[in-house]
Amino acid sequence: MPGSRSARASQGGHVELVELTKSFSDVTAVAGISVEIQAGEFFSLLGPSGCGKTTTLRMVAGFEEPTSGAIRLDGKDVASLPPNKRNVNTVFQSYALFPFLNVSDNVAFGLKYQSLPKAEIQQRVTEALDLVQLKGYERRRPGQLSGGQQQRVALARALVLKPAVLLLDEPLGALDAKLRRSLQVELKALQERVGITFLYVTHDQEEALTMSDRLAVMSNGHIAQLGSPREVYEEPADAYVADFLGVSNLMEARVVTPGSGTTPCRLSIGEFELTAECGRLDATGDVKLAIRPERVQLRPYEENGQNRVPGMVERVVFLGSATQVFVRLAPGATLQSLVHNDGEPVGFQQGSAVKVLLPPDALRVLPGGGVTVAEIHEETFGDQPPDLAVASTT
Amino acid sequence: MATAVITPTATAPSAAPVPAKRRRRGPWRHPWGLEGFTWLYLIWSIVPIGVAVLFSFNRGKSQSSFQGLSLRWYTGTSKAYGSVLHDPTLHAAVVQTLKLGLFVTLITIPLGVGFAIGIDRWRGRTSNGLNLVMIFSFVVPELLLAVALMFVFLQLLKFIHLGDGAETAALVVWNISWPAIIVRARLVTIGRVFEEAAADLGASRFSAIWRVLLPMLMPAIFASAVLTFASVIDDFVIVEQLSGPGSQTMSVLIYSQAHGGNNGPALNALATLMLLFSLVVAGLGYVAYRLMTKGERGNTAAALTSIAGM
Repeated sequence: MPGSRSARASQGGHVELVELTKSFSDVTAVAGISVEIQAGEFFSLLGPSGCGKTTTLRMVAGFEEPTSGAIRLDGKDVASLPPNKRNVNTVFQSYALFPFLNVSDNVAFGLKYQSLPKAEIQQRVTEALDLVQLKGYERRRPGQLSGGQQQRVALARALVLKPAVLLLDEPLGALDAKLRRSLQVELKALQERVGITFLYVTHDQEEALTMSDRLAVMSNGHIAQLGSPREVYEEPADAYVADFLGVSNLMEARVVTPGSGTTPCRLSIGEFELTAECGRLDATGDVKLAIRPERVQLRPYEENGQNRVPGMVERVVFLGSATQVFVRLAPGATLQSLVHNDGEPVGFQQGSAVKVLLPPDALRVLPGGGVTVAEIHEETFGDQPPDLAVASTT
Repeated sequence: MATAVITPTATAPSAAPVPAKRRRRGPWRHPWGLEGFTWLYLIWSIVPIGVAVLFSFNRGKSQSSFQGLSLRWYTGTSKAYGSVLHDPTLHAAVVQTLKLGLFVTLITIPLGVGFAIGIDRWRGRTSNGLNLVMIFSFVVPELLLAVALMFVFLQLLKFIHLGDGAETAALVVWNISWPAIIVRARLVTIGRVFEEAAADLGASRFSAIWRVLLPMLMPAIFASAVLTFASVIDDFVIVEQLSGPGSQTMSVLIYSQAHGGNNGPALNALATLMLLFSLVVAGLGYVAYRLMTKGERGNTAAALTSIAGM
């Protein structure tokens, strides 16, 4: 749509959050986050429930008043403006389509406040419904649409106002996995087409990684890491990010000889010594070691050499494209190894002894003392309030 | 020869085990006792009403011996024994009741809806206190309120005279809980997200309430209007206590004529009409509420019927 693109150029869409804080009576939901989002960027806030991502979005939308800090939209602080005075629109998790209005009237709802001639309203509604491929559904009520269609109406209703920033609060959360995956691709394509800044909130790491230009991983009201999907995935800043961004093997280790810059770091897990070439090589004392399952190699037990640790196969799970092998290392930790399916059966069986090769260029040193994996899981899947989770990490 | 055959494996008699006698009946048995009790209760409460209704069709002028069916107490033109249609007092009572019901409903509903929206969407401590006021009329005895208000109208607000004005004001106070509670229940169910969506799309606070909240509250508003109307039609305590020199309502008339009056079955006819109004209004309300909330998730209609059951 060349029309929308040129319209966008004057719209801006640069967002800057400065030390943004929100405290409810007894909980600090957002603890002073600062982010700069470029115009036209697809930016995601990723984190478990209770991490403050939705509160941040609601402050940008204008539904919550920040306790302190600034929200600059194209240079102007909008933190104290009501939602109807901000040039941002929201796609709600529950869609919040007005059930008593049909699709066309839902989309036209916001246009009525812009004192436009009727013909133009009609034309823009048609355009917007075209954009989300819902032509022919104008007269339907939201209750007569499927979840995916309702989601498209919600998108059209927000996009028709040509906002500077579109805020999306887990918009795919209520859809089934297959539809979610196809809509991810579609949503990204749509964002590129209209060129509007998207601020996307999700707890689904796959969604965030596939669609975002950049993303912020949030934890307990803070930003744990900010970067491109590749950076955050490949170079997690700490154990929390590594664990949250998909399966990662984490092990407790102790630094024997710290490295620096290009010098690898030597560590020990139990009685075995390892060399690591990634992450915080200059760390000392107790640290965490992370390695992706696809980089863990299984070798015959007889093989000896650098970075090899003996272990025993605990479980073999066939996944189709790969086989997941759980190995308990001699020092105690359990690792997951992903063996790609190349047509040959995996030669390891439950109970067999193996050597686990952890290549130095895949071993990442992460600062220790942070949250443990179990605690992250508890926080992600349990429903205890975030402040309790903080208390238990020490 | 066959008797000589010994089977070495036959170690125990193969008699089928005797089923243990069932001492207790299963938990899925029909609760006859409960059902019987329910029927008894229904008969106990409905039969007297049925009898009263039946006597309104009595051909004779007795309220105790039935002499065949007729409509004389509804539409009869006899001068000596007035019918509801032609006796001026009875006729006026019907009109007065409907008028009072209509006025009170028209005043109560907007006030109550505003009250509910205010309490629910207003963040602060005051709203919690006001929340208690809302169940006021369920706690305070009606007679107490009626007597108290009578003194208020006689001593303080003298410009409101006993009669229509005082009755209307008191009935509004007494019935405002209907819209306040029912509308508030729906506000809680709806949540804030639709108003947020409206504000997000450019609506001011007022516009969001007008264009989004009110249409979504319509079923609850209608339901509470129906209940208010039905409740006013039935009201006796407030209406009697605050009545003035003007016309009496049906309830007051029935009460004052029941002993010593000479209207006979015409009073039954009046009471039957009262019952009919209430039933029709409640039925209308139920059907309309079902239609308005059609396709919504959750059975809000069930909640309404249980409220109406109060």
